[in-house]
Amino acid sequence: VWALSLPQHIYKILEDIVGPEYISDKECILAAYRHPGPASQQRPAGFAAVILPGSAEETQKIVKICIRYGLKYAATTSLLSLERMQPGSVLLNLQRMDRILEINSEDRFAIIEPGVRHVQLKPELLLKGLNYPTASVGPGASVLANFIASGDHHMQHGTSRVNRYLLGLEWISPSGELLKMGSLAHGAGWFCPEGPGPSLRGLIKGFHGWGGSFGIVTKIAIGLDVWKGPPVIPGEGHSPNFQVRFPADRHKVFIFKFPTLDKVRDTMLEMGKAEIGSAVLKFFYATEAALTTESANDFWERWNSGLYQKELPRALWVYLATNTPEEFQYEERVMQDIVRENEGQPVDESIRKKYDDNLDHMFIIVSFLQRVLRLGGGWMAVKLGGDSVSQMFEVAKVIPEFINEFIEKKQIIDAPFNFQIIPMEYGHLAHIELLIFYDLNSPDWPKNLQSFLQRSAETDIRHGFHAASPAGDMEKISPLYSNFYSWNKKIREAFNP
Amino acid sequence: MESLKDYLHTMRSCNLCGQCKWILGPKMRGWRYAEICPIHQRFKFDAYSGQGLINIAQEILEGRLKYEDELIRLIYSCLTCGACDVNCKSIRDMEVMDTILALRAKCVEDGRGPLPEHRAIAQQIEQYHNPFGLPHSLRFDWLPPGTRISADSSIAYFAGCSSAYKHPEIAVNNVNLLNASGMEFKVLGEEEICCGVSLWRTGQIDSFVKTAEHNLDTFKKCGVKTLITGCAECFGTFRGGYPRFVNMDIEVLHITQVVQNALSTGRLKPKPKPNLKVTYHDPCFLGRLSEKYIPWQGEIQAFGLHVPPKTWRRGTFGVYESPREILRSIPGIELVEMPRNAENAFCCGGGGGVPSVNPDFTNWVAAERIEEAQSTGATALVSSCPFCLDSFNAAIKATRSHLRYYDLSELIMQAI
Repeated sequence: VWALSLPQHIYKILEDIVGPEYISDKECILAAYRHPGPASQQRPAGFAAVILPGSAEETQKIVKICIRYGLKYAATTSLLSLERMQPGSVLLNLQRMDRILEINSEDRFAIIEPGVRHVQLKPELLLKGLNYPTASVGPGASVLANFIASGDHHMQHGTSRVNRYLLGLEWISPSGELLKMGSLAHGAGWFCPEGPGPSLRGLIKGFHGWGGSFGIVTKIAIGLDVWKGPPVIPGEGHSPNFQVRFPADRHKVFIFKFPTLDKVRDTMLEMGKAEIGSAVLKFFYATEAALTTESANDFWERWNSGLYQKELPRALWVYLATNTPEEFQYEERVMQDIVRENEGQPVDESIRKKYDDNLDHMFIIVSFLQRVLRLGGGWMAVKLGGDSVSQMFEVAKVIPEFINEFIEKKQIIDAPFNFQIIPMEYGHLAHIELLIFYDLNSPDWPKNLQSFLQRSAETDIRHGFHAASPAGDMEKISPLYSNFYSWNKKIREAFNP
Repeated sequence: MESLKDYLHTMRSCNLCGQCKWILGPKMRGWRYAEICPIHQRFKFDAYSGQGLINIAQEILEGRLKYEDELIRLIYSCLTCGACDVNCKSIRDMEVMDTILALRAKCVEDGRGPLPEHRAIAQQIEQYHNPFGLPHSLRFDWLPPGTRISADSSIAYFAGCSSAYKHPEIAVNNVNLLNASGMEFKVLGEEEICCGVSLWRTGQIDSFVKTAEHNLDTFKKCGVKTLITGCAECFGTFRGGYPRFVNMDIEVLHITQVVQNALSTGRLKPKPKPNLKVTYHDPCFLGRLSEKYIPWQGEIQAFGLHVPPKTWRRGTFGVYESPREILRSIPGIELVEMPRNAENAFCCGGGGGVPSVNPDFTNWVAAERIEEAQSTGATALVSSCPFCLDSFNAAIKATRSHLRYYDLSELIMQAI
């Protein structure tokens, strides 16, 4: 038996809130909520029940019942991070709360509930000449969950993290109060995430969805950008061989290789100063090979050719996407000057072409990101951190100190440069991720992953970097950075009902 | 690979990404019609989805989940439409649909499946060679006098149970189309029996294999090298089901492929029709589930490497274009697409043994599709499967829709 069962009288109270169709404590229903997530080392503990509220009001009532009877609870939409739950918890699955409440073209924001997916919101916006950057998830992920998480994405060089697009929001606090935050709290509408006084956004912003955040967000407004591309995605072909072709005189992917990582960094910084490029990034190279392949065998055939390892370890991807051909021509000329000054060379055209055929819909609609999971299902972004562009490159340079032994033991794929550094807001900040692939079918993967995380965190601490794994040892990292973890714990205690 | 344990790699590889429930990114068209899994859209809990069913399969296989009536009903709620499978395979190397089918087969092996209604259908097929329990002697009553039949031809028209007994007009239109295109063919007469699709999809594998072996013997005995069928379910079963269990070395064509060929070579010449705006529904077994199954035995090595290489069925090469080409070739017909089309088509609700156990759900699914068809502004819904015909006509009546349903063979016959 997995779950601690819910007392029948409590079940009945919850059932009265949502109706019998939307609550269950049956083992066969709960089975779908206790499968390990992609980067998890353990199965989620058994839930006592899953409940599907249809509104913020129902959600609030459920939270209050849980508090009254001392039940642990958590909310989800995209099913990730459930392994952090305790046995016997009540799982609130918010997928029925899936309304787009408003799309305001004039002031460029949209108000949504948690169950709205990228694949639902984005096409509605494109029709109205609007868009937003898509954080790095698949099309079926919750937009709200993305916006309250860290929200890094491949186009943040020319834009920003998606959590910087967050505006007013509605929130159920851990004690069950339904609160409005930002400008909404003052009856001023949804346009701003901050009200008078200190920002409270940190309370709801988790690093991994709700992992680390408080309460339940039931509505958010997000800021929108102007979209001057086609109103309907021009997809061709059948799965998995889709092509999405945006106008060629305004969209193109370039990939340049450089003699050193320092040259990659300098080129990135110069492009930021020149404010050109929608996406500029030192990209994952093994990951990107996986993204453009049709099967694991296809990946291995390409990877074993050695071409990617030869061409891409110190490469810079540049995606130019402009509103007019004239803008495109200008940006391309500036880009070529900067690349030339830093001794960059185009990579093998067969590689560039592959990305050009695929990355439009990768960057703009993020349509197949889950292909990174194809090589065995195990995937983890081991380093996730934000700092200056230069600092992120310093973090990257010490990766060889710990990664090679795991490659030699074949515990992860042989891709020591499979990290990405993405500048944000034209280089004012940057983000690093070291992505590793491991095989969920290997019995030792939890142990190996834990060992990898440990070594990565130790290396970072040794060098005084904060770009450690989210699963790293916060107690050790915290003193380096104003004892943030102690403060974090104090805040959590203050809100604990 | 047919046993449930053969799909452990799929079960372990699932990352809960949700692609089995949602339309593919390049196909996204709006908030509405973005879900592609009928059971998930209707019942909401994630257990009702490709993801949930493979999670359940793993727990059963590993002994953590015990059989109970509700679990069996959940497993048999799936329409086996394969939308989850194709969407998952756009990004992963997993066999979601085959895992669900293997799960049903395990339920049968363990004496916990199928549901009584499915057993009754199996008995009808055993006794009468059709799932409706109608006399076998009536099977070829549909064949109109004057049909040109070539007894020596190696090409056979296979009507299928639904066309033969319930919708003979489809079978009549099909043979008339074959005659009009000048194709020589024969029919199997009393030798034709059910293809066995409902046995396969409900996990009654022993009965299905017996049916497949019987049919294959018949085809060989009659010198058949090519089968033509107008039923999508038969088509998908011959191509995707039979090769799993028998040496199906016979070419299988759907009538739409034959007609498209006749149109492109000028053997059929459509005349203008009064203006008609139509939308086309891709039957699951003619579209995403119709790729030929190529048996694979091998090892899945570290990091997903399949040795020897596997031929995947990702829905890429379903019969999507032939019916559309036919419709475009008829002057006066305007074809408009539904948001969920081709490999992302939403099921009609008629598959997986569901209509016999949960007709309300079948009606709900068909009504959802009718609403989607109406949203295109079309006045007619066209498809090419007698099971879709049943589902849609019932839903059109129930929802009082203005749409009219056409089997594609009817439209093309009117035009030539």
